[in-house]
Amino acid sequence: MPRVQEKAKILESHKEAEGTYRLVLYAPKIVPTARPGQFVMVRVASEGADPLLARPFSFHRLHKEDGLCEILLRVVGAGTRLLSQRQPGSSVDVVGPLGRGFTAPTRSDETVVFVAGGIGIAPLRALLDHLLATTHKGHPERLHLYYGARSASELIALHDLKRAGVVSVVSTDDGSAGERGTVLDAVQKRWNASSQMPNRLYACGSLPMQVNLARWVRRRDIWVEMSLESMMACGIGACLGCALPAVDPEDPQAQRYLHVCQDGPVLDPKRIRWDKVQPLIARPLISASL
Amino acid sequence: MGQSATPHSSAPDLRVSLGPLHLANPVLTASGTFGYGLEFSDFLDLSRLGGIVVKGISLKPRPGNPPPRLAETPCGMLNAIGLENVGVERFLRDKLPPLRQRGAVIIVNILGNTVEEYAELASVLSGVSGIAALEINISCPNVKRGGMAFGTDPHMAAQVVAAVRARTSLPLITKLSPNVTSIAEIARAAHDAGSDILSCINTVSAMAVDPFSRRPKLANIVGGLSGPAIKPIALRCVYETVRAVSCPVIGIGGIQTAMDALEFLVVGASAVQVGTANLVHPRASLHILEGIEKFCRHQGIGAITDYIGTLDTACRFPFADESCSVEPPAREPV
Repeated sequence: MPRVQEKAKILESHKEAEGTYRLVLYAPKIVPTARPGQFVMVRVASEGADPLLARPFSFHRLHKEDGLCEILLRVVGAGTRLLSQRQPGSSVDVVGPLGRGFTAPTRSDETVVFVAGGIGIAPLRALLDHLLATTHKGHPERLHLYYGARSASELIALHDLKRAGVVSVVSTDDGSAGERGTVLDAVQKRWNASSQMPNRLYACGSLPMQVNLARWVRRRDIWVEMSLESMMACGIGACLGCALPAVDPEDPQAQRYLHVCQDGPVLDPKRIRWDKVQPLIARPLISASL
Repeated sequence: MGQSATPHSSAPDLRVSLGPLHLANPVLTASGTFGYGLEFSDFLDLSRLGGIVVKGISLKPRPGNPPPRLAETPCGMLNAIGLENVGVERFLRDKLPPLRQRGAVIIVNILGNTVEEYAELASVLSGVSGIAALEINISCPNVKRGGMAFGTDPHMAAQVVAAVRARTSLPLITKLSPNVTSIAEIARAAHDAGSDILSCINTVSAMAVDPFSRRPKLANIVGGLSGPAIKPIALRCVYETVRAVSCPVIGIGGIQTAMDALEFLVVGASAVQVGTANLVHPRASLHILEGIEKFCRHQGIGAITDYIGTLDTACRFPFADESCSVEPPAREPV
């Protein structure tokens, strides 16, 4: 699929939750070939050299016929703050579509679980939209969304998904909305005791969430894909900065890396050396959106 | 030439000759910032560039350093990739043929842990068609063995260059490190040992720290700083290098725009390499080339070679005496 660089016009900018913004971009060259799970690199500063690097953002929603896409951004640093302040009508430099997207189910009878931690809802929403319009049209009850955040103020209202019939379970660390606890607590509460596992599970969230989830799914017979995050400079496989420790099937002790931009961002968790990812968690997330 | 010239209607001649290396124009891409070239083929016609310097190649594949490998800094970025590459065998089998097909002028950056590894690589690559030159990387700050260890000692630098020279007749470029007291000294050593061309600079050894976690932002603790933040350092290094040696010099460091590239050319670089800008804008190198062409037309410069090395350092101060000269006056012993 050809990757394109274009000036995308910001059509809308909305504050969706505390510190979280949704931007609607007109990117007619990029959107038609984009798939859920893929991402774009957005250059925040139109001129000047600070901040220098573009930031990766997953497609949150895709409106292919209109050449529109939506991205979600959480303000965590100077770059995302600048982007959140950009006014509708202005343009940003965008490169995409990049990376590997989700592998969608092919059968409507599959029960599909989505696990979203905070801003991790971003790429999962695009996939949910896709399934509601294709395989699971008429069977939304087989789509289960587990959505967690630190508190109610950080949750994005997803009334339309509920109205569409998607089974939604909300959890917050402080109990201000939904069940108190982590999103993983909610998943375990529902599925630990179940005699039947979901067929597929898609996840995106913080690194600690992904590590714990990877541990949980490892012992279960579920087909899983996770959208992972990493600091990136180019997004196109040139800098090799977005490395994650990878499993080498031939030599478990070998030092191997996957690159989130090219091999991912959607990856089978079995390909990651989660024991080597652990030290990264001790740091505040070195987020691509910093 | 200069302000008084009239704009040229015909296309300016952008050809440059760097000793034995003849290029259609002076814009190349810097190693480590352009992958194996193919990553950029969706965005630009690779044959338009003066040349592309591919990612550093070693004899055996290298996995690179543990993450985090990147951090953003004011007007720059810090990396400690650790020379991850597929190794020379896979490079020749998978990367070089499609690159050659795209008509790109290919320069291979080579690296090793020992002098013999550099020499062996030169030997393996010499017989391969479609390689225009080798760039010897003795300046990477992110590896424990080889890399900068060779580039900061004039004797070691000379040893590597001489060993490579003995094994190939390809044009040789030696990429210099700014992390030295005197870049001129290393430049002379590399040139005397047989390097046809020098390129400077590689990244500047640097560090970034997270004050909350109290940890370095890179797993490698220190890394290489690149981007606009290092351009003034790079210009100074090019200025010192062109005065120290008689061979052509390629300027590298923080070039984002045609104006940045022109600064290097006027100081005396015969060509430039675009680095970090490629990561930010995949078409940056082509934009820079087009900008140089436009500048030449606008300034009435018929050939870029008329512009290279025309830095005017004469003092304009009306009461100038020796203390105003470019060379600082010799200090009296205290």
